[in-house]
Amino acid sequence: MSGRRFWAHLHLLDRQLVDRDGRLCGNVDDLELEWRDGRLWVSGLRTGAGSLARRLGARVLGAWLDQVHRGVDPERADHTFIPLRHVADLGDHVTLSLDRTEVATWHGERWVADHVIAHIPGSGHASDE
Amino acid sequence: MSRFLKIFLGVLTAIGGFVDIGDLVANAETGARFGLGLAWVVLVGVVGIVVYAEMAGRVAASSGRPVFDLVRERLGPRVALVNLLASFFINFLTLAAELAGVAIALSLLAGVSYVLLVPAVAFLVWVVVWRMSFGAIEHVFGIMGLALLVFVVALVHLSPDWTSMLHEATHPALPTEETPFTYAFFAIALFGAAMTPYEVFFFSSGAVEEGWTRRDLATNRLNVYVGFPLGGLLSLAIMAVASQVLRPAGISVGTLPQVVLPVAVVLGKVGLAVAILGVFAATFGAAIETGLSAGYTVAQYLGWQWGKFVRPRDAPRFHLVVLVSIVLGALFLLSGIDPIMVTEYSIVLSAAALPLTYFPILVIANDPEYMGTLTNGKVLNAIAMTYLCILTIVAVATVPLMIITKGGA
Repeated sequence: MSGRRFWAHLHLLDRQLVDRDGRLCGNVDDLELEWRDGRLWVSGLRTGAGSLARRLGARVLGAWLDQVHRGVDPERADHTFIPLRHVADLGDHVTLSLDRTEVATWHGERWVADHVIAHIPGSGHASDE
Repeated sequence: MSRFLKIFLGVLTAIGGFVDIGDLVANAETGARFGLGLAWVVLVGVVGIVVYAEMAGRVAASSGRPVFDLVRERLGPRVALVNLLASFFINFLTLAAELAGVAIALSLLAGVSYVLLVPAVAFLVWVVVWRMSFGAIEHVFGIMGLALLVFVVALVHLSPDWTSMLHEATHPALPTEETPFTYAFFAIALFGAAMTPYEVFFFSSGAVEEGWTRRDLATNRLNVYVGFPLGGLLSLAIMAVASQVLRPAGISVGTLPQVVLPVAVVLGKVGLAVAILGVFAATFGAAIETGLSAGYTVAQYLGWQWGKFVRPRDAPRFHLVVLVSIVLGALFLLSGIDPIMVTEYSIVLSAAALPLTYFPILVIANDPEYMGTLTNGKVLNAIAMTYLCILTIVAVATVPLMIITKGGA
């Protein structure tokens, strides 16, 4: 998706992110902008607790959260940044062409799933009808 | 299930699910203290919740976006965070009050102190949230809650002077032992009880849980336009019975058993048993709804996967928030705090926090990007704007009134 004009603040910021299988995977917590040809373009989305904290004015906390995030796996790509080419559709939510495991919020979800929820009987089953 | 049966079930659920601990306490308490002098507030509150719940349901059905998702989109992360903290805290108080309601209802049967039953009740509520399907949760407790119709039966059985009751309700007068401040305070309590914010969090998230689309809009309207007003009538019956039985006897409502006392006086043991069943179902259902709402609000603000439509493993942090809220709610009650006081604070503070939740719903319900052709009409917008003004005035007046009246004492 490139060259489309929209109100970035109104149509992108704080929208729900949905992965390619329709699963909820965080919000658009911030935008990455770049100057090109004398104009400001959105180059990608920022997501995750670090970006949100920074936008709320907590710079130190935000930097720390991002660092914790990277510390989990230094080898891995930066999952808090989503280049615009991975945005498949813009509507009342933002659909990505990624899997949720490639988006920042996944790591928190997985940690809680593995360490807490998986230990409770019935966590892998849908609710009884 | 046939379509007709499904809609009928939905309306019954909406009636039975309308009343919770806040409505029980606020209606019985004002009935005992003010007679029917505050009945008009229930009417105002019911119209308000009808207008905004219908909007929240319509937004969820046409865009698939629940309320707290929209709160952040329209208010931005900072104001939405303030709303989240306030709503979460109030929802927590409500959850604790509902858990207490369930425990007190059971203690009336078991003959032990309700505090001893709190851990077991909290565990039961959590198990139901964890295992039972969303549709079953809604219908089972909503329909069991219809047992509260025993208050209507008691009222009819009393065969009161209906014309003088109507006169009392339409010509509100201040009882000599009350002040304008206590009158206003309890008006806010009744208003808050009818319009509690968790109701729209739960209602709109529920619409997404059940996969509502535009085809379900008729169901939405029927549930709201028929179910909620009938639920409001049920609230009024509770108030009227209290005004007929408790007020002449000079009994004020300071405990939950006093809410069902009039039914026992009028209809005896069987009536009392049915009333207790109704209180149990209404508070149990609402405990589940507030427990889920704790998870809904946090997860929707942060964009996490939420909902019972996926396996718990796929919405882990949502389930963690629900679990922790229920445990903390139980611990809060075990500290020995007065559950009626918790209830009163939860409904009065609800009233104060309402504008921050209802404003974004109104904005989105007018946005064609979300709604397509289903945006609000002019009349609806006029009514909704009027309510937003009332809500703002109420929000400003709440805390000063709490201080002046020392919490309605």
